[in-house]
Amino acid sequence: MLKLTVPAVLLLGLAGCGSVGGEAASAVAVRLLTAVASDDGATACATLAPQTRAELEESAGQPCDRAILDEDLPAPGTVTGTDVYGQWAQVRLTGDTLFLATFPDGWRVVAAGCTPRGSRPYDCAVQGG
Amino acid sequence: MKRFVKENALGLTFGLLFVVVLAGQAYAGLADYNQQQLTEGLPRISFARYVTSASFGADVAENWQSEYLQFFLFIFLTVWLVQKGSPESKNLDKVGRESDQDQKIGPYADENSPKWARASGVRLFLFANSLGLVMGAIFLLSWIAQFIAGRAAFNEEQLGNLEDPMSPGQYLMAPDFWNRTLQNWQSELLAVASMAILAIYLRQRGSSQSKPVGTAHTATGVEG
Repeated sequence: MLKLTVPAVLLLGLAGCGSVGGEAASAVAVRLLTAVASDDGATACATLAPQTRAELEESAGQPCDRAILDEDLPAPGTVTGTDVYGQWAQVRLTGDTLFLATFPDGWRVVAAGCTPRGSRPYDCAVQGG
Repeated sequence: MKRFVKENALGLTFGLLFVVVLAGQAYAGLADYNQQQLTEGLPRISFARYVTSASFGADVAENWQSEYLQFFLFIFLTVWLVQKGSPESKNLDKVGRESDQDQKIGPYADENSPKWARASGVRLFLFANSLGLVMGAIFLLSWIAQFIAGRAAFNEEQLGNLEDPMSPGQYLMAPDFWNRTLQNWQSELLAVASMAILAIYLRQRGSSQSKPVGTAHTATGVEG
């Protein structure tokens, strides 16, 4: 009986709890795009994952709060869907798709300004890792 | 207490080993998972978070389902299939479900027979097939758990690779699901086949899984 119970418990804990944390992730995604639309580079950069921020600064050759405003990220649209699996989330808005990961202080954007390329990974304007 | 341990040593030992090895798997899996997290510039996760993760669940369930499938198949197929000379097989002339008398069912039940062996209808059917049915049920539940947890773990990787997650229908047809499934099935089937055949010619003195050392290679259905 123990072995029947354990898979059931595992299922509850592990299975694709697609919406758990989804609202928090989409709020961070919208905060990034809203900040960029408002020319608030500092707030926008605060939503980025450390590696994404570092790679943005390295590729642009300027501080994050200026570089992020040059990336032509779209204005924040309506959230059309969110998927959360483990440490990762995908937030889909009208006009953009963002990928986020969990950190000790909450969700952070790993990639933004992403467009699909069929079966290949998304092509993202801002991307870390 | 001492007597209880001695009389149940086989189940207790394997149960204890199971817990120890599962804990080892959890710690090794956590280290592996966190290595990947560091590579991707992401923070480490805790032990508690890992043992409730889809990644750990899929790794556990994929092995469980194949083990129980192995037992389920072995239990049911050995009703009708025999292997000459193997202690894993019953005698060649006993193929099939055997007579009520041989199985001590109904009027042939003795004073020590379980109550349901004297019953009839559904109760007798369930009890007469309970070992295979329970093994089969655990197999199915574990396989479903592997599917659900495996999909969640796979989708976590997909998002980490900046790719779309898969729906349940897509994952059912995905190479990841069938690779996890079949790589475990093949090893279990090989283990059963090799045990059934090697035990014809090889012996392990004192083991219930071997024929007595001096028994002929051709002797079937004899266990030590």
